[in-house]
Amino acid sequence: MAKKFNIALSSRLSPFQKFYLLVIAGFILGPFIPLVIQSFAFRWAWPDLLPGTWWLEQREKAMAPLAWDYVLSPYSRVWEATVNTVFIGTIVTAICLAICLPAARVLAREKFRGKSAFEFFLSLPLIVPEAAIGIALLMMFIRLGLAGSYVGIILAHLIPTIPYMVRMLTAVYQGLGRDFEEQAMILGANRWQVLRLVTLPMLLPGVVAGALFTFLVSTNIFLLTFFLGQGQIVTLPTLLFSKIAGGTLDASAAGITLIVTLPGIILLIISERFIKEEAFGKGFGN
Amino acid sequence: MTKVQLNAVRKQFGAFVAIENIDLDIESGELVALLGPSGCGKTTTLRMIAGLERPSAGAILFDGKDVSEQPVQDRNVGMVFQRYALFPHMTVEKNVTFGLSVRGTPREEIGARLEEILDVVQLTQFRHRFPAQLSGGQMQRVAIARTLITKPSVLMMDEPLANLDTKLRGEMRRFIRDLQQRFGITTIFVTHDQVEAMELADRVAVIFNGHLAQYDAPAKLYQQPASLDVADFMGASNIVPGRMKSDDLVETAIGEIRVAPRAGFETGKDVQVMLRGEAVDLLTDPPAQGGVAGRVVARDFFGASVNYSVDCGTHQITVSEQARRLVDVGTSVRLNIDPERVWLL
Repeated sequence: MAKKFNIALSSRLSPFQKFYLLVIAGFILGPFIPLVIQSFAFRWAWPDLLPGTWWLEQREKAMAPLAWDYVLSPYSRVWEATVNTVFIGTIVTAICLAICLPAARVLAREKFRGKSAFEFFLSLPLIVPEAAIGIALLMMFIRLGLAGSYVGIILAHLIPTIPYMVRMLTAVYQGLGRDFEEQAMILGANRWQVLRLVTLPMLLPGVVAGALFTFLVSTNIFLLTFFLGQGQIVTLPTLLFSKIAGGTLDASAAGITLIVTLPGIILLIISERFIKEEAFGKGFGN
Repeated sequence: MTKVQLNAVRKQFGAFVAIENIDLDIESGELVALLGPSGCGKTTTLRMIAGLERPSAGAILFDGKDVSEQPVQDRNVGMVFQRYALFPHMTVEKNVTFGLSVRGTPREEIGARLEEILDVVQLTQFRHRFPAQLSGGQMQRVAIARTLITKPSVLMMDEPLANLDTKLRGEMRRFIRDLQQRFGITTIFVTHDQVEAMELADRVAVIFNGHLAQYDAPAKLYQQPASLDVADFMGASNIVPGRMKSDDLVETAIGEIRVAPRAGFETGKDVQVMLRGEAVDLLTDPPAQGGVAGRVVARDFFGASVNYSVDCGTHQITVSEQARRLVDVGTSVRLNIDPERVWLL
């Protein structure tokens, strides 16, 4: 598959297009290079371009690369943070879907007074600075006793994720004609059967994409989690921030950064395969 | 076998009246077309019969029983959408059995009825394919099978032949007709194409702007339209104004035309004379007398048939005949018209 892709790439693209692709790849992958190097360094002092001492040269002093030894040890709280991040992300995605699916259906199919104003209103959370929302929410949540709780963080995470999800699902619903649901109803399906057997499977590619996006946004939110978690709930972004807050990128911070990217990468790979093979490969296309 | 009746059915969307008091009786086992230009309300009528829309006033009766308030799931109707609406994520088999499985039919019965219906629509070898892997005609047969397997009391179709090419059209027309006779199922379809309506239906209901303009057999609709609008919509090109000179002679701008006497058309009445192109004889040998004189100004050759435009002074008359001979443009001709085939409006 990858080989075929490469051949197609080299035979069809002009040199300029290839160069352009390389530049884009550099932009995306470039920032990871110092992280990977740092995580395998023993000592990397300014102004050296590469680490002065690599871990391999000091193997007798350290059993594993220093960064990874720390990251994988219980002291780093990386495991706890990962579990928290994935847990919060999953719940946020599920709630977000439950709210946005019906909302998107109405926005895509019905006309009502003030619809365009409402759509604009939906995007407002993306315009208001996160810090302002975070501080305001913290005041309220402290009074409500939600500060420092999972519920508080999950509620806060819904604020920036719902606008994205509604927009994506609205587009998906617009692509799904009423015919299919009406046909199912004429054939005798009740509302629940229509949703379960027709609507959801047909929306699946869009729903997966929306869910993935929501999950990634949630796992990357720092400020809201930081404010509302009150240091009691550690997620990967807050853990990372505590490591790099000093202004230096040390080996353990580099290791944590690499760990932070893992859930997203794994999810991307899964959904990529899933969307292509399950939903599109058989039913849609050609 | 279900008789469908619409009693003063009216449908309003906000201030817009889509259907204004339509009365329609469809006999059990009949194949009826709802014909009209787009936006005339024919699709709304079909959707009301299906139960997808609720009439604002009036009643829809199945075998004399009012079903206006019955939800679509309980109405036991079948509908084939214009674009078939096959579920893209299900195989042909799953699509066809959908209606039975959501109704909780026992598995063995579903299996037996599936075999039977796949055989009827000749899709047995395509049973494991997905809709995207089928041709237009096959998709339509799946859509029909999916509907028929539920044994609906009324079958509805939205523009059944519109998406098919000419060759497939003839094939599907015969197929639909055969199926309809075999199952004796009351069938209603919607179309904006008068040819499609005529080639398929027992009776055609012409709808303009939410009103029922005429409800008749295709031949009657074509030869004896009730109004100028219907005549125009049925593709009548030769309509000439005139005045009744006597009860069997009309004085028109192109000459005197002999007609069959008809009640309501007395001497002195202003009328519109409709001449069907294929009912006019084109005579090249100058006959002694009679008929309308003219000159051929254009010829459209279609292979089997040929159309001539004949200039008769103030009007051009289109004459259509089998292409057994070709008359050259510029030839002086006389038009001979059978009085029985002249229609007055």
